[in-house]
Parts: sequence; C-alpha cells; structure tokens
Amino acid sequence: MDFSYTVKEEAFRQELRSWLEQNLPEGWLESQQLPEDEEELGVFLRAWQKTLSDSRWAAIAWPEKHGGRDATLMEEIIYHQEMVRVKAPPLVNYVGLHMVGPTLMQIGTTEQQQKYIPKILSGEEVWCQGYSEPNAGSDLAAVQTTAVKQGDKWIINGQKIWTSFAHFADRCFLVARTSKGEKKHHGITCFLLDMNQPGVEVRPIIQMNGEHDFNEVYLNDAVAYDTEIIGQLDDGWRVTIALLMHERTGIGAQVFSLEQQFSELVSLMQNTTEDGEPLIAKADVRKRLFQLYMKQRGSLLNYYRNLTKQLKVGHPGVEGSMDKLFVSEVTKELFSEAISLQGHNGLLWKEDAVSGSNYWQTNYLYSFGQTIGGGTSEIQRNTIAERILGLPKDAGR
Amino acid sequence: MDFSLSEDQELFRKFVRKYLVDHEQTKIARDYIAQEVVNTKKVIAGLDELGCTQLNIPEDFDGMGLGQLDLVPIFEEYGRVLMPGVYLETSAIVVPLLKKYGTEDQKQTYLTKIANQEIRATVAWLEPGNSYAEKGIQLAATAHNGALLLNGIKTQVPDCELATHMLIPFRNEQRVTLALVPLDAQGVTVRAQENFDETRKLSEVTLSQVVVEAEQLIALNEDGFAVLTESLLTYNASLSSVIVGAMEQIVHTASEYANIREQFGQPIGRYQAIKHRLADMKLQLETARSLSYYANWAIETHSEDCSEAVYSARIFATEAFIEIAAQNIQIHGGIGFTEEIDCHLFVKRSRFYENYLGTNVDYYDRAIQALNWVGMNEAVRN
Repeated sequence: MDFSYTVKEEAFRQELRSWLEQNLPEGWLESQQLPEDEEELGVFLRAWQKTLSDSRWAAIAWPEKHGGRDATLMEEIIYHQEMVRVKAPPLVNYVGLHMVGPTLMQIGTTEQQQKYIPKILSGEEVWCQGYSEPNAGSDLAAVQTTAVKQGDKWIINGQKIWTSFAHFADRCFLVARTSKGEKKHHGITCFLLDMNQPGVEVRPIIQMNGEHDFNEVYLNDAVAYDTEIIGQLDDGWRVTIALLMHERTGIGAQVFSLEQQFSELVSLMQNTTEDGEPLIAKADVRKRLFQLYMKQRGSLLNYYRNLTKQLKVGHPGVEGSMDKLFVSEVTKELFSEAISLQGHNGLLWKEDAVSGSNYWQTNYLYSFGQTIGGGTSEIQRNTIAERILGLPKDAGR
Repeated sequence: MDFSLSEDQELFRKFVRKYLVDHEQTKIARDYIAQEVVNTKKVIAGLDELGCTQLNIPEDFDGMGLGQLDLVPIFEEYGRVLMPGVYLETSAIVVPLLKKYGTEDQKQTYLTKIANQEIRATVAWLEPGNSYAEKGIQLAATAHNGALLLNGIKTQVPDCELATHMLIPFRNEQRVTLALVPLDAQGVTVRAQENFDETRKLSEVTLSQVVVEAEQLIALNEDGFAVLTESLLTYNASLSSVIVGAMEQIVHTASEYANIREQFGQPIGRYQAIKHRLADMKLQLETARSLSYYANWAIETHSEDCSEAVYSARIFATEAFIEIAAQNIQIHGGIGFTEEIDCHLFVKRSRFYENYLGTNVDYYDRAIQALNWVGMNEAVRN
C-alpha cells in the first residue's frame, strides 16, 4: 500500500495550483458567486472554459494533438482534487469535454473530429446530451424520439427531458429511433444535432431548490443530415454505451467534494453558537458528525481501492456503481444532517440562513437529485447485485 | 497510489484459505462448540506451521519479521470461518506490546516461545461488575518476598482452553500494572462460563495468592493503562480484518443462497427486495474493508491519523457486522433460523465483538477525542 504521489504528480499539482491562483475569476477564492442572471451566467461560464482551454487545462485527458495533456489517471484525480479545493466554477461544456469529445475521437469521422472537437475545447460550442425521455429514464433503450429519412434530411420528432445545459447548448448528442429492431436496443442511431434551429425548443425545468440546471427539449421536425450521424445507422446502442464509458472519473469529483463538505459541516458546527456555546459542544452533534466522518472516509477509501484496480487493469470496472451509490447516498445524508443539526435555524434561507447563504439549504434540496441522476440508486443496486454478486437479471430485461 | 494488498500478502491468504477449506471452514468452530478441543488445537497447530503466529514476530526471536498489514489477509480468512482461539489477543495485543515495551529478556523468552507455539496468550481484563475503564481495574497486588501476590477475580476471559498465559492488568500500589501469568500457575482456577457465542468460550478466572515475579511484569516503567489502551489500536485494526472476513463470507453465502432458492418459479435473487438488500450488504462489506485496510496501513506507517483511522474501522465494522449478520438470516428465511445453518453463528460472533475489549460507546468517545475538533468542551477533551 502506498498513498504517496510521485514527484511528477506533485509537480503537476503545483503547476495547476499556481495556475489556478493566477487565473481563477477575480475574487473567486474569497467568495464563489456565480452571476444570477442566466445570460450573464452563460457568458461567465464560457469565458471560464476559454481561460482553461487556452492553457490546456480544460480537457487534460485528451491527447495533446487535440489540445489536451495526455494526462494519466492519477493526474486526472489530482485535477479533480485541486478543482474541488478552490471550488472552481463548473465546466459549462462538461458533456462536450468528458463525453462527446472522447467519443468523437473514438468513433467519429475525420471530418466530424475536425469540425467539432476544437469548438468543444474552447467552449465555442456547448453540448448537451439527449438521452432521457419522459418514458425512457433509467431504461434508455426505450427511446421513442424518431428520426425519419426524407430525401437527404433526417426529420426528428420527440421529446427529451433532464437535459443539462440545454439552455446554453449549441449542439446535442441525440439518441433517436431510426427503425424498429428485433430487440428494443436495436434500431437506435446517434445524431450530432444542431440546437440552433426552429425545430428545437428548450423549456426550463426549475428544480426544488429554485435553480435551473435541467431542461425539456422538444423536437418538432428538427433536421439532421447524414454527416451528423455518429457511428453506424441503427447501431447507436454501441455508441451510447461508448459515450457513457468515457465518463471515467466523474465520481472522483463527487468523492472529493463530499470530503470537503464534511469539513465545512464541522466548521459550521464550530462557528454556530446557541446560548453562547458552539453546537459542536453537544455530545449528540459530535456523535452524528463522527458517523458521517466514517462514511465519508469510507467513500473516499472505497474510491481509492477502485482507482487502484483501475490503474492496474487499465479501464474502469463495475465497482464504479458502488462508488456512485455510496457517495450519492452519503452526500444526501450529510446535507440532511446539516439541516437537522442547525436546529430551528435550519429553516432560514439565503442571507438569513446561519452561514449567511443558503449553501446548506440549497445543497440539501439539490442532493435529492444525486441519487436519481446518472443512474438511480436502485439501478446501481441492480448492477451491484447482478454484475458483482452474480444474481439473476430481472424478468423484464 | 496503490491501495491494495501486495501479491505476497494475497499469496499468503491463499495458503491459509486452502488450509481452512480443507478443514471444512466453520466445522472448526462447530467442533469447538462440541468440546472437541483436541481438534481445534490440531487446526491451530497447522496454522502455525504455515507461519501465521510467527508472522509479526521479529526474526531474532524465530519470527518472520513482518508487520501489521501482513496480518490482514490471515485475519480475514480466520474471520471467514469464525475461527476460535486467542490469535487476536496473542498476535495483535501481546506481541506488539512485547515488541515495543518488552525487555530484551522478555522478548527472548516470550516472543520466542510464542513463535514456537509454546505460549498463547489471552487477556484477563474485566472484573465482575466493572467496565473496561481504568477505574474498573481493581484487582490489587501485595508485595511478597520481592515478588507480587495477586488475589481476585477476572471475568469473561476468552478461550482459556486454547491459551497458556493471560495478560492481566491489576493494581500495584494504585498504579495499573501488566503481567503475563501462566494459566496453570499455582492459585489460578478457571471456571467456564455459559456463553452466548459458543465459538468463543469465556471463563471466570480466580487468582488466589498467585505469585508474579518481576520478569513477568510488562512495560513496568510506563503508565500501564496507557499501554493497554495503546495496544487496543493494533487489536482493533486486526479485529476489523477478522470482521471483514466474516462479512465477506456472509455476503458470499447469502448471494449463493439467493441464486439457488426458488419461490414462485424463480430464484429469490431475482426479486429486487432481495437484490437491493444484498447490494447494500456488499457495500457495507467493502466500506468496512476499505476502512480496515487503511487502519492497518496507518498503524504500519505510524500515520498521524492512526487513532481515528482505527476507531473508525472498529466502529463501522462491528456495527455493519451486526447488521448484515441479521440481514443474512432474513434472506435465508426459515432455514436461516435453524441451528443447522451457520447464520446464527455469525450473529452471535458479531455480538461478541461489539462490546469486547471496550464498548462501542467508549470507542465513539475515543474517536471523537482523537479528531479533537476545536470548540468541543474542555470537559470532553480531558
């Protein structure tokens, strides 16, 4: 066992750390305020990605010839650690950088690569992912959106939901049904759809915390061309899986965030007083904090064990489903405890809230989405039971 | 970054596992329940031939000179079969204690004898009506011709039948002092107690005018209770490994059963009610394992966060063990409720560990003290 980082890895960390100090948006380290106005937010986030990509910090795992750094898995881990440490602004083109770009490099034609990849990197073109539908959430193969060939055009009709960043997006990695296959995952095709056209309508979904991350996307005779098909016609299932496989370190960021959120919760309990005493002076508060401590450490250490395995075998394993399940469930528990431990003050919102912002309250509400998005906890449990413990598949599948 | 056991460590595991499988796994514990102590001793002797007890004893004293992490796979395998005996007390308490605090003579005598299977030590800590706290140690020594005489009663001393010696804390001129006393010393009587977990047999040990010579006193110049508390770090790290092994066996057998047991024409493992329960059990197992590996690593490397790492592993593992041992019965249904199937043995062992050598209530307090969050009451920290 060895938890140390190599000299090269430490040098990488230092390089990134000092770059961040000099290039984060002004005043970011003191308080992390994103513009409230949506349009301003879009401008702000695109500018941040441009800053990152100009210094080759936007997609470090990409090959150098595409503007990346050929980063090792460990360098990616360090990257997430450092980004979490400074609570860096989110990547508006997360889908493009982590999913679409690598998939294009793997499966896309040379023309597609040349056309899309540079703009993904710079943030000039933001991408969203058109997978989920009202009747195809966890069951992705049940997509009903259709693409029908008319002359040289594909006419697309249907509805997508839970589409992150669609309100900023220029293009969509869209899954549609192009024929009725023998099995339901046959006859699916993936399109690189232009979002800026009359047939595409984006409607916001306002979350329970009042924020807007997701959208519904209505496709009414939207148009795509053959050159915008990625992979083979009717063989999109393979492409969708390839895309999902590229999200190889997303859990890491959540695990490191959980670690940070835990220490912030300890600070909150130290800095909030009741009757002149800090909340942490209460035995019950300390015990509940320690219970979270064990789980948060467990989540981090589980992740390191799976990472070790990934480093050895060279690709992510099914254990990722355990990491996803645990980190999302513990995150939910942590924010629930954070509200509970604040006592009656937990009910206040925004500037009236204990910490002067609604950080705890809004993240508590947001945390409900974490055990749903990216594969629900129930799906993760099925995966663990079937693929790790060897139990039989559900009758329906 | 490498958070896994080494190839050598995994290789050692294979030998131990094969040996225990050859001896029909929990049959070893069941023989012990049936008072077939001769069989149990034979199995233990065989494990020693593999080098299990020699492992963390220095080479100078006939050991293998390996460390805390090397014990991990062995103890996991022991846990898998609910191995009876005093391996935790001997290898994870007495050996580390002698290595750190023993005099050269004591190391020569005791460590060598432990390595050669002449000594196996249990721990005689609890006294009737008292706790594991310092004030619970009341058994007092009196001076006698340059030696000490012990009089009093220790209770819930495990597996005396499989041990030759006991590590015993007592009071000498008010100070907590530690000694290694042979169980066959003049004046020692052992009365077997009735046990809830029969895979570990507890006894009441009465000491009457038992002579303890100076060379039997361990860590004489130290605060005896502090030394004892320190030894609980190695103990609890190793305990968490034993528990991980037991949990692994539970998840394995429960999954296997869910795959073969059919109801309504299909294996019960196809129902999500069962599947999800098992997935959660697997997650608890792997989390316990991660915390346990880290705890043992922290001890081996003298990491700064050693105490909180060990207490986290202990508390999480003992609690998770109790929980999944119970779930295991539910998954097995009626058959899980019978004596014939091993499920109940795991439940009982889980309750044995919960409050053995310190309660989880104590350990929560210790863990929180170790984390030493600013703002806690002074009263808590002292």
